[in-house]
Amino acid sequence: MTSLDPLNATPTGLPVSSEALSAEPVAESGRAGAATWRVFRRDPLGVISLGLLLLLVVVALAAPLLASYPASYGSDVLKPPSLQYLFGTDSLGRDVLGEVIWGTQQSLLVAVAASIIAIAIGTLVAVIGAYFKRLDVFISVIVDLTLSLPVLPLMILIAALIGPSTTTIIGVVAAFSWPEVTRLVRSQALTVVNLPYVDAARLMTTSPVWIIGRHIIPAVTPVIVVSVVVTASRAVLSAAGLAFLGLGDPTTWSWGRILYEAQQSGAMSSAWWLTLFPSIAILLLVLSATLLSIAYNDARNPRNRAR
Amino acid sequence: MSRLFFVLPRLGRGVFTIWFAVTVTFLLLRLLPGDPALAVASPNMTEEARAALLTQYGLDQPLIVQYGLYMWQMLQGNFGVSFTQSVPVMDVLLQRLPWTLLLTFTALVITVLVGIPLGVLAASRRGKVLDKIIQVIGVTGQSIFVPSIGVLLLFVFGLSLKWLPIGGAYDTDAYGMDWYASVARHLVLPAVSLMLIQLGSYVLTMRSTLIEALGEDYVTLAKANGLPYRRILWKHALRNALLPTTTLIGLQLGFLVGGAVLTETVFAYPGIGRGIYEAVTQLDFPVLQGAFLLLAITVVVANMLTDIVYGFLDPRVKTS
Repeated sequence: MTSLDPLNATPTGLPVSSEALSAEPVAESGRAGAATWRVFRRDPLGVISLGLLLLLVVVALAAPLLASYPASYGSDVLKPPSLQYLFGTDSLGRDVLGEVIWGTQQSLLVAVAASIIAIAIGTLVAVIGAYFKRLDVFISVIVDLTLSLPVLPLMILIAALIGPSTTTIIGVVAAFSWPEVTRLVRSQALTVVNLPYVDAARLMTTSPVWIIGRHIIPAVTPVIVVSVVVTASRAVLSAAGLAFLGLGDPTTWSWGRILYEAQQSGAMSSAWWLTLFPSIAILLLVLSATLLSIAYNDARNPRNRAR
Repeated sequence: MSRLFFVLPRLGRGVFTIWFAVTVTFLLLRLLPGDPALAVASPNMTEEARAALLTQYGLDQPLIVQYGLYMWQMLQGNFGVSFTQSVPVMDVLLQRLPWTLLLTFTALVITVLVGIPLGVLAASRRGKVLDKIIQVIGVTGQSIFVPSIGVLLLFVFGLSLKWLPIGGAYDTDAYGMDWYASVARHLVLPAVSLMLIQLGSYVLTMRSTLIEALGEDYVTLAKANGLPYRRILWKHALRNALLPTTTLIGLQLGFLVGGAVLTETVFAYPGIGRGIYEAVTQLDFPVLQGAFLLLAITVVVANMLTDIVYGFLDPRVKTS
């Protein structure tokens, strides 16, 4: 049963269905991890996605070796893809292949940094809320309110006021991504805090820090893994959206900036290669991240291991 | 009476959400680095005009007074004065709002009209090839960057095939019925772009809730009674599976509006989103602030209306 159902745990922002994340709330031991890997290995979609993500990471890290930084203006303006310029050139004669390669670095950096911050805040808020029931009401109200607002216009306002830079984008995207993480992790954490072993731990120690760190966080780790991937892929889309509106870092190449410059120069619709290649890059990154989280969820589910 | 008890908490919740949006904006503007005065008055204004605006918003007063004044101004719909056009932000935005409403509403309707049948189809063919294809389309749609699909559609149907206009919202030289027809033609590509990125959520939710509903006892009973499968699927199971899908509309509204901002930019559609794009280029902060607040209010009100209308349709709400 390699269904795509666990997608309910992903960007759609839905209540998690019973089929998706109901599996073991208990932490995965090393053996369970190995079992997950054995099932995962047999899922072609998952393996291909993982391979694609690793490829993008390699491209990002090796960017200086693969292409020189596209800064200087060239005389070959708006040339369609050819052997000399595989992805064509832009309206200032720069190599689009180089822009996409360097854009990979920026997009992955923003995705990873923003999602790490969002996950840290989101998880902490979620487990604190689940553990201290009085705070939970307050926290879930804030999360619900934030999730019901149009976040992109708010990100735009703040990014414009602070001034566009990579740090701004990471901060803004992280600041509005954590409620989604909290929502996902909270639902899992709420079931964990009521399990007998947590009650037992309460008898052993009075330190909530110990119980949260030792028992609750490990138990919600699978959900965190899924939401890392989901948050990162959402961050890619948000960052691209900001850059597309002209709020990207003007000193670094990003996929959104290539699209923004194409739009600004009016070449967006005529020079198809300017939009096609960064678009494919965004699609590949987000799609493989989403498929990877689905495959991981499937592999983690013990009902699928029995095969 | 019971209806009043149903409507009032939802109204209260809506008002509370709007208050939250305004407060967050106020706090962000004051706490972040940068001059909060920039959000209401341009440095290029004359000294007196600028000073008058700053006093109106109490930017020379203590924070708590500022907050009160800010709330008061927002209540009156006073979002400041646009830097570039020197007219109240509200006037600029209200001109654009109908286009954004038209675009997002159309997109929402066609998403639901296409998404629900696709979800039902996938659920009834669970595990078959058609189910897999529909799921892949859904997941892929969710992973697409809106401007990408927008430009693709624009390139194929606008520039190459020349079936549909490539930008704007209407023909300037059309009148009467022709004008409405031109509005419809300009609406197709942006609305379809928005539909494609939203479709996945609806299809996948519909599919999984319907599969769950098909496993319920009442479905087994209906089967045992010899009811035809189609009737069970469309009449019994679907009705119950529609509930989470309706909640999804509310959850997705904020996301839909974000997508609309990007789509309007691609198609030069004269809504609030395109206004945001232009305001970013000119660093027109009052317009950006007003746009966020107006969109937030729109989303909250739309959500509230969906909720209330839905409540009247659900028999359980009436009896309780």
